[in-house]
Amino acid sequence: MADELDLLRRADPVPADAPHLGDGPLPARAEQHLEQLLHGPSTAPHRPAARLLRPARRRVRAAWGLAASAVVAVTVAALLLGSTGAPPALAAPRPLAVLADATPLPLDRLADRAERAAADGGPALRKGTHVRSWSLGMSDDEPPVTLPEERVVRWTADGRHTELVVATDPRHPGRPVLGGDEDGTPRLVEDGHVLRHRTYPPSWSDAPPQSPPPHDAAGLRAYLGEARHGDVTGTPELLDATALLLDHWTLGARESAALTRLLAEDGRLRPAGRVTDRLGRPGHAYVSEESGVRRMLILDPVTGAVLGMETTFSEDRPEYGVRAGDVMEYSAWSR
Amino acid sequence: MSNDEIFAAAYREHYWAVSRYVARRLDGRTGEVEEVVAEVFTVAWRRRAELPHTPLPWLYGVARNCLSNAVRGRGRHRRLLDRLGNDHAAHGRHLTSGPEAEPPGGWVHEALARLSGKDQEVLRLTAWEELGVDELAVALGCGSRAAAMRLHRARARLRAEIDRMRHPAATAPHTARRTRNPAATTPAKEHGHG
Repeated sequence: MADELDLLRRADPVPADAPHLGDGPLPARAEQHLEQLLHGPSTAPHRPAARLLRPARRRVRAAWGLAASAVVAVTVAALLLGSTGAPPALAAPRPLAVLADATPLPLDRLADRAERAAADGGPALRKGTHVRSWSLGMSDDEPPVTLPEERVVRWTADGRHTELVVATDPRHPGRPVLGGDEDGTPRLVEDGHVLRHRTYPPSWSDAPPQSPPPHDAAGLRAYLGEARHGDVTGTPELLDATALLLDHWTLGARESAALTRLLAEDGRLRPAGRVTDRLGRPGHAYVSEESGVRRMLILDPVTGAVLGMETTFSEDRPEYGVRAGDVMEYSAWSR
Repeated sequence: MSNDEIFAAAYREHYWAVSRYVARRLDGRTGEVEEVVAEVFTVAWRRRAELPHTPLPWLYGVARNCLSNAVRGRGRHRRLLDRLGNDHAAHGRHLTSGPEAEPPGGWVHEALARLSGKDQEVLRLTAWEELGVDELAVALGCGSRAAAMRLHRARARLRAEIDRMRHPAATAPHTARRTRNPAATTPAKEHGHG
């Protein structure tokens, strides 16, 4: 048997001749970045790329240790009480309530509906996304509450795209949102406070998830596998890939139908009932539970379009300060 | 050449190598590779006066720090998911077939994942980035002797994990051990992680 380093070499997930990452000329955006570093005015600030790591900037930075989320909510409330007239929109959401359905709608039947809806026309595929999201921070040395945000990405025909991210909590429109991490301390920001607004130079890529998704289930499975650099044979992987896709594309009717069919073919998403999502839209919930985590997919009951996804803990995990039912993250996509 | 010119040359020469380094460690999150690589070179730009004559290992060191920030920021829930998954595996709810049953990538990654983060990184830098010991030392920010020692120990630990996967019956009592403290059950780990 080969030695351990040989074995590891053969298991290189991104070899030097990997498609899209092999040696060659710099892509346009890399050229532009180099140009900015060498000559652009944006090189002057002390933290020129601080916002490049988007998720890192999403969090409120404070010296709070990890604590039970309920305790955290109380702590945050205590910090903020008296600071504003209206109750703030705290960042830890409650899980969505699912109403058990006497006649649950199996996913394959919803896929049939989606295919019929797509045959009748329906919206077209569009590059870019519109998503409202939140995720629980988990760390021993970082704050446990993160900022709920709304992210809109729009592409133009010349290959540019614009990203706008604002602080907002869909459950409490108009109320201040806990956020703002410029100076490392939590503070309230107004609903709609702009966290990031950037325009990116032209970029063309023919690799998933930047390339247009196919509109058949088999093609979409291969596409999602390539987008993840791995297979999507497990339900968690398939749902992760679905979120990745929807964070890049606003699906048209045909792509939605293909995705619903693919999810139906997985066979492990169980219909759980009816649910109203965080944007007030009616949907059908399909759940998968694995490794102490319950993932819930919310689909439009007419078109099969993915409306949202919610991940909750299905077991108490006192060592992580969370209880069964606590929300780990959610995303709600819209056009 | 000025510092700026040296930096520009290093950027052009090593952009893709740094991209691959990042992609290997982002576990399929391709959408984030470009962002993290941009951060790596931005940090490198600010520190361009320190750029060594052979810049790639140093750039890997910068990338390592950027990635640790990115991973921290990106959804610590993801790490929690990983931890939860590991715990379930520890209780026997997840089975690994072993070297004879799967293509090499899967089980070698599984064996690697059982090691500490430090061990994993020293092995990846050696096998995937093909660094020699002196370059390893630059990337890890330590001396060459310490780098050599870390590599030696990490190789032994990886070999032990692979052997366990080849002979699962003989090592059944060890299946409850996971990444939290791999040093606890492997003789070679008694000396710590260097």
